[in-house]
Amino acid sequence: MRRGVALNRAIRVIAVVAVLGMVAGACGKSTEPTPGTSKPPTADLEGGTLHMAMLADVTAAFDPQKEYYSVTWEYFRCCLLRTLMSYEGTPTDEGGAEIHPDLASDAKQSDDGLTWTFTIKPGLMYAPPMQDTEITAGDFIRAIERTANPKANVGGYSFYYSVIEGFDDFAAGTADTISGMAAPDDHTLSITTTSPVGDISYRFAMGTTAPIPPDAEGERMGVAEGHDRNYGRFLVASGPYMFDGSDTMDFSADPKDQTEAPGYVPGRQIVLVRNPSWTRESDQLRDAFPEKIEVRIGGDNDDLYNQVAQGALDFVVDGAVPPEKIRDYQTNPDLQDRINIYASDAVRYVSFNLAVPPFDDVHVRKAVNWAFDKQGFRQLRGGPSVGEIAGHIMVNSLEDNILATYDPYPTANAAGDVAKAKEEMKQSVYDTDQDGVCDAPECKDILTITDREDPYSEQMALLKQFLEPIGLTLDDKQLERGTMYNKCNDANSKHALCAGPGWGKDYADGVTFAEPLFSSAGLWESCCNYSLVGATADQLKGWGYKVTSVPSVDDDEATCAALEPGDARFKCWAELDKKLMEDVVPWVPYLFDNSVDILSDNIKNYSFDQFAGLAAFDSLAVPGNTA
Amino acid sequence: MDTDVSQAEQRTVRGRPDLEDAAPSAETPASIIGRSPWEIFWRHFRQDRFALAGLVIIFLILVMAIFAPVVADIANHQPNQVNLNSLDSYGLPSAPRWWPDKYDPVTGEKIKEAPPGYLLGVDDTGRDQLVRIAYGARTSLQVAFIATGIGLVIGVLLGLTAGFYRGKTDTVISRATDVVLALPILLLALGIASACGANQEGCFWGLIKPGLGPVIMIIGLFGWPYMARIVRGQVLSLREKEFVEASRSLGASNRRIILREILPNVAAPIIVYTTLIIPSNILFEAGLSFLGVGVPDTTPSWGGMLSDAGTAFTFAPWLMIFPGLALFLTTLAFNLVGDGLRDALDPRKGV
Repeated sequence: MRRGVALNRAIRVIAVVAVLGMVAGACGKSTEPTPGTSKPPTADLEGGTLHMAMLADVTAAFDPQKEYYSVTWEYFRCCLLRTLMSYEGTPTDEGGAEIHPDLASDAKQSDDGLTWTFTIKPGLMYAPPMQDTEITAGDFIRAIERTANPKANVGGYSFYYSVIEGFDDFAAGTADTISGMAAPDDHTLSITTTSPVGDISYRFAMGTTAPIPPDAEGERMGVAEGHDRNYGRFLVASGPYMFDGSDTMDFSADPKDQTEAPGYVPGRQIVLVRNPSWTRESDQLRDAFPEKIEVRIGGDNDDLYNQVAQGALDFVVDGAVPPEKIRDYQTNPDLQDRINIYASDAVRYVSFNLAVPPFDDVHVRKAVNWAFDKQGFRQLRGGPSVGEIAGHIMVNSLEDNILATYDPYPTANAAGDVAKAKEEMKQSVYDTDQDGVCDAPECKDILTITDREDPYSEQMALLKQFLEPIGLTLDDKQLERGTMYNKCNDANSKHALCAGPGWGKDYADGVTFAEPLFSSAGLWESCCNYSLVGATADQLKGWGYKVTSVPSVDDDEATCAALEPGDARFKCWAELDKKLMEDVVPWVPYLFDNSVDILSDNIKNYSFDQFAGLAAFDSLAVPGNTA
Repeated sequence: MDTDVSQAEQRTVRGRPDLEDAAPSAETPASIIGRSPWEIFWRHFRQDRFALAGLVIIFLILVMAIFAPVVADIANHQPNQVNLNSLDSYGLPSAPRWWPDKYDPVTGEKIKEAPPGYLLGVDDTGRDQLVRIAYGARTSLQVAFIATGIGLVIGVLLGLTAGFYRGKTDTVISRATDVVLALPILLLALGIASACGANQEGCFWGLIKPGLGPVIMIIGLFGWPYMARIVRGQVLSLREKEFVEASRSLGASNRRIILREILPNVAAPIIVYTTLIIPSNILFEAGLSFLGVGVPDTTPSWGGMLSDAGTAFTFAPWLMIFPGLALFLTTLAFNLVGDGLRDALDPRKGV
């Protein structure tokens, strides 16, 4: 999914992550996370070479401390890196959102809730050339130290770990070690936090925490020493796969003289082969069916899917299945079992800039919500298979489905209702004659930013069409995707509407929506509060806006984030969602996104990984692909 | 071979009654009539049926472009009007009602039929293709005339100056021409168009904004060197002619000589070359739009329509056929007229 880039651009510089946990919030409770369900015998699915393609390369050449991209997260989870905790690579209804011990055998929380103790499974070895090195507690500390290193964590998500005692001091260079991390022995890791954090397990299931082996010289960063910018090229695997030719790496040489594993050529190809150190018995979470995974990088979206249809390619990692292929695969009985559709825990929306007239008036924002043809937007994206019409902001799984049927702007067939929109517009100060059609000059040539690719340019044509009857005309700027996100995020750009964004969760909690999107912590130059909800008068003035006040939900967000996990917290997020939809109205959310995959007829097994929101690559079985 | 050629020439001459008539005849000296150059030109041109056909096609396309809003009114759809009912549930386009084979070749499924009033079907956004083709003619003709016009003015001015003044002026202009000719125009155009189109502020301090502007500027600003060369070559020989000397000896200023004596005499090659460069400019714009760096999707353009149609070709060929046909006919028509003009304005043709 190319949109993975967009969705996981997520929460960059968020100072405080006051998340309370999901796993075991109650202080003093010792937890024994459930091990993964043991997999049924699958010998007939094993073997073969899986041929995949990617439109674009990963974002930071597989450097675990830098990669903040769903595709790389899946490569790490399925194949390359094991972490203390991890997921099973299945959809939510098969337990895919639940966390399980991976390299750890158990996790305990102290009575005061501040210290977590992980026990690490003994006898687990790294991939070649470190096959004689056992994975030990110190290797995790090394990974967190690298996460704190500003030279090594560029573009990453180190903010999730600043809750660890001493992390920020180490990052600032004022401490030699992270005081909150200790390894009393090789198989015990203790982590002390500055405030109780129930969801530490989730944070230690992300690739940046994967162990980094020591090197022979005992350098601080182990094998990553001297590779601040490119450790990804020298990645030592712990999962079922490794880059082809990893055994040729020589960490005893000076870092400048080391040669990277030939299995990954940036921008060209990725070749993963079996890690001989990995055993099926030691891993209850991964299928690891293919013997080898070959990935070509580059190509044309439609062309790649044609190759999948013809069997020349097995799977496209980051493309968007063209609507005609969706139609083919859904209507042709021979193809119907080769299309897979799963909710990917992401929302697509149009955001209002609350500081730009006429959208400083809530009635105009509500009127747009009434007029919005969500059904049409979905149809232009490929119809019902691409997702569920959204009636609110946070995906239902983050609110325990409390708002599953909620929509404060219900219209027939979700196609918009001009009459209701006009009723709302009449109450606006910008509709001076109160005929339901905005007549103020602010409603003309409204600066709208969107993506220049289909289906966004098509959606723009429709958007203009259904806003015209209420007197809003748009001046649309269709930009390259990266530019669009930058402009939407930049408070100085003074755009009024941002019509192309989407947002996906980082892990299963409402805070991964509320904080970056609607709290003042997500305002420019942080990310991604495009509506400027919670901006102060000074900030607005500084950016050059004439509007001096906008609504804020900072207090509501903080209240929810401080709650114990469970029903109360779910309910709190749901209440915040309702407040946003009815009082603040920063968005028109129109779609809860699906992930759509089509498979070649070589693939005999498929599983959707809810964690990354992508197919579990190691579960794609191609026993017949011997070539 | 020589014999063949001469026979062919003879056949050609015999096949052209106008030339036969015009051949000198000792028996009818009295039939020599004084004709103005325009009369001579028109006499030749109207004999060329292909050129006339081209002229008619250009006229029709011009009418279509001018009256595009009328086409939209008659069809009752605006060029950017989305009709979701004209798309199937997957958001895929529907076929014109008269289209003979309305089945998807891959699945064998029946393809949805466009609602009445969509003569040429709808595109993948649910917009009327006929109306968009009519508006697309505006885009193509704007590029054809404005961009070519810019190139023409620059080329003629520089060509006249270089050829007339010679010396250092000529050296500077001619080397500049060489430099522009050496530039990879398509790559440059792709670069500029994507740079200026990627940003709401445009580029070059906001002078060029995304849209038709950059495309016209690129074609106009890089399309002049051939014209400059042709004009310069003509002027170099013309400035030595007796009538120029005569006019100079009568005390005419350089400006007068250039504008009143020389320019009219290079009009013929200018006209011919302009007509021939128009279709290549139209194709250049279509190419840029096809590559996705031309005009934005909200401005209908034949190249952009062809680009959109590419992915849908297997099950919606009408999306490619009609804009392609429009583009083909337009460029063909300009080429035919250009050829006709060249023949008719050729002074070596019998008078």
